[in-house]
Amino acid sequence: MKNFKRVLGILFIIGILMATYIWFFVYNKPHRNFEKAKPDLTMSARDCYNSFSENKIHAGGKVLEIYGIPSSIESSDTMVVAVFAFKQGMFGANGIRCTMLADNQQKARGLSTKDTVYIKGFCAGYNGSDVILENCSIINKLKIK
Amino acid sequence: MKKLFIAAFVLLLAVPTYAQRYITKNGFISFYSSAPLETIEAKNDQVNCALDTQSGFFVVKALMRAFVFEKALMQEHFNEEYVESAKYPNSLFSGKVTNIKDINFYKPGTYQAIIEGKLTIHGITNPVTAKGTFTVANGSIIGEAKFPIKIGDYGISIPAPVVGKIAKTVTITVNVHLNPLK
Repeated sequence: MKNFKRVLGILFIIGILMATYIWFFVYNKPHRNFEKAKPDLTMSARDCYNSFSENKIHAGGKVLEIYGIPSSIESSDTMVVAVFAFKQGMFGANGIRCTMLADNQQKARGLSTKDTVYIKGFCAGYNGSDVILENCSIINKLKIK
Repeated sequence: MKKLFIAAFVLLLAVPTYAQRYITKNGFISFYSSAPLETIEAKNDQVNCALDTQSGFFVVKALMRAFVFEKALMQEHFNEEYVESAKYPNSLFSGKVTNIKDINFYKPGTYQAIIEGKLTIHGITNPVTAKGTFTVANGSIIGEAKFPIKIGDYGISIPAPVVGKIAKTVTITVNVHLNPLK
């Protein structure tokens, strides 16, 4: 009887620990930290756009690192988007749109449209006009010249 | 000389056509599901939208993977099990503002709009009618609409264990700030 109670107590504690683990690390697991993530692919912005628009790669859901000279930096109170434009389309200029992480927005606002920059982010895919990168961070804008 | 006149005429036709198209690439769409056990909301602020103010042609395109959920697990399930984002990466609404003649895009103000068209999600297309508004101000147009969709109509089935967590009808909210196409 004593042993049975001990086993029951151990099972109860294991159950509580499992429930705690599932609650914190499965059900409420945090979003991936894309700033620290290792890129699955690194390529120039132009190659990246061409590969997607010509249906040569399907990198939606992957972490991409791209480099090139941004065409423009779109900025609002809540959002900063680095734009690499290559072609004119139905929705304006087509290319790659990189939405910056909040803690990279200030740095992105200061990006030059003359210098090469490396940007890493989560690729949401290609919407028929643009490759969308989200949660982006600037890697090292002096990496190549 | 005749060719020159024809070229000038074509140019005259082409210029206003461009000025009539308003676009954004930062449109906002959210969906809201209220079920007995859980409330779920997802937001996407990378939505493409175009409006032709003369013909009323209205198109909205959104990448499914760009929807952001509060919980990472929900986002994972949404993409992998429900909408199958790898197979069906985009959702598309293509239609017309049926009462376009009632809207004066040259005069600031808020106008009621009726939009009819086809919505494709998860590879399945259904007709949709939505009521919304267009607000004309400072050379821009702000389009807003809210409408319900039944997720079953788009081939998205809810597994039995989570039936109390996901509503059968979800509310779609669209908010787009459109600027003239340059």
